[in-house]
Amino acid sequence: MTTRISGRVWKFGDNISADDGIIQYSQVPSLDTFDIPALKAMCFAELAPRFRAEVRTGDIVVAGRNFGHHSHQHACVAMKECGIAACVVESTDSAFIRKALNIGLPIIVCPGITALVDQGELLEADLATGGIRNVATTAMLCARPFSARMLEIWCAGGFASAMRRKLLPAKE
Amino acid sequence: MGQTVAQKIVARAAGRDTVEAGDYVTVSPDYTCCQELAWQTRKRMMQEIGVDRVARPDKVIMVVDHTTSAAMGSSYHVNHREMKDFAFRHGVDNFFGAGSGLRHLVLTEKGFARPGLLVFSDEPNIASIGVVGALNIAVSSEVVATQIADENWMMVPKSARITLDGRLPFGTLLRDLAQILIRDYARTDTLSQSCIEFVGPAIAGLSLDERQSLLACAYHTGADTALMPVDAPALAYARERAQRRPFHLLESDTDAVYVHEAAYDLAAVSPMVTVPPELHGAVPVEDVAGLAIHQAALGSCANNRLDDLRAAAAILRGRRVDRAVTMYITPGSRAVYAQAATEGLLAVFMEAGATVLAPGCTTCWGYEGVLSDGEVQISTHQMNYHGRNGSRSARSYLASPYVVAASAVAGRIADPRPLLAEPARAWQPREPR
Repeated sequence: MTTRISGRVWKFGDNISADDGIIQYSQVPSLDTFDIPALKAMCFAELAPRFRAEVRTGDIVVAGRNFGHHSHQHACVAMKECGIAACVVESTDSAFIRKALNIGLPIIVCPGITALVDQGELLEADLATGGIRNVATTAMLCARPFSARMLEIWCAGGFASAMRRKLLPAKE
Repeated sequence: MGQTVAQKIVARAAGRDTVEAGDYVTVSPDYTCCQELAWQTRKRMMQEIGVDRVARPDKVIMVVDHTTSAAMGSSYHVNHREMKDFAFRHGVDNFFGAGSGLRHLVLTEKGFARPGLLVFSDEPNIASIGVVGALNIAVSSEVVATQIADENWMMVPKSARITLDGRLPFGTLLRDLAQILIRDYARTDTLSQSCIEFVGPAIAGLSLDERQSLLACAYHTGADTALMPVDAPALAYARERAQRRPFHLLESDTDAVYVHEAAYDLAAVSPMVTVPPELHGAVPVEDVAGLAIHQAALGSCANNRLDDLRAAAAILRGRRVDRAVTMYITPGSRAVYAQAATEGLLAVFMEAGATVLAPGCTTCWGYEGVLSDGEVQISTHQMNYHGRNGSRSARSYLASPYVVAASAVAGRIADPRPLLAEPARAWQPREPR
């Protein structure tokens, strides 16, 4: 299976909060379940009002420093359900990377990414090598590659599927 | 190359001699600790995996802390029940029901958090267990599923070191320093994916409660986690509660590598207030003093321990909460609640007109103490974004227990130092009417 993702970039700035930026956590109707239509409707709604109407499956979110601070998983679900294939960011916290990967959304920490690519450009990211490339300019950066375990989780579409494959191979 | 304490803890849990920052490793955490608010996602994860089994029930700690009672109109009573059933079905002895307190305090008070142990929890603020040299790593919906096979992956955090020197001035608490650190670091990514090691001569002069207050806030600087050296008081506390369960006294090697080092002089700290809606907005209390408030709240994993209640009582004793203000005080655990009663603190709060809630997270995330449009709150909570405590047009200012209590009395944001300096009037229980 390829570990390469390519997609059109949605670019955001520094310090995009998960709870009051990616979504409005305080407006999530039920914290117990993931209310997909509600989460999709609020995804980046305040930061990029065009996002909801124009986002396409396979798009990539590029963001600056401290992406997704104070992360509830609802923000990851919102992005994933909107079709976002990956996030490539200057920095984030480790818990946010896990929350996203658990539902099959890779977040790649790549210092310098905001200078590499602009809104609407095509970006290519290889999770196995860490290679991040602006397709138009061919400029490249090298991020830390995902580990074999992280790739397993991503390939399986999330933590639960990866775990199921591992524990119950006969059933697959 | 030398190893930091955090690296040594991860290396042991990974069965390796050494680890380097940024390494991906598979670890067997000493404990996994979860709460009830997100129980449905934890349960769904188990169901999707298709396994109803826990490898090491003795490593599982389940605490009902966000919703201290199952209120009418909320669905959380289901989570309380299902977690309890899960615990009993799988032989998990360490289930702590509503009102037990926060995971942060349960972990330390019951001796689960011990020096050199690795804890996977579902919250980064549980770095407060670093007070006894235990390392908290925040995970997510897989916190319970980690126990199916007693293993999970993690990235070894970078290490940063912040040296604390000097003594806190009159009227300040370590919470003020926490807000200064968040002001200085939150907009940078200097501490991103790191473990902060707080060291230095000032630590010996700080109570264990105060240390936990700082550690619980460390995540908001951008760090993943934090811990402190285990000195004699920390070791005595941990040993007493360990009840012969193992722990590992570790020290950072002198040639360990830190990605960032800084020093703070506690003597330069003054009472701070963090202005909403962002966490880096700490200003001296003088800058916002006089702003009328509607609610004051003391609680959250940052400031719900005995020293925090004592600090609030030092101001509230013999005084009244302003009639325009609703004040909530939430002890962090049953032990804190009981000791507060023994010391007469609860009577001080009742006499002052405050409301003491059951131990838990409650007001910090807006389960209780919900704010209406345009209302202003000052609290010792962890977050201040729009809508965190109710209406998106309400504003939540963050401060120390001293500032919160002084503001509750004044009815507006107030510098606590004049009230603390006034000789406290002798407190007398009122005669029953």
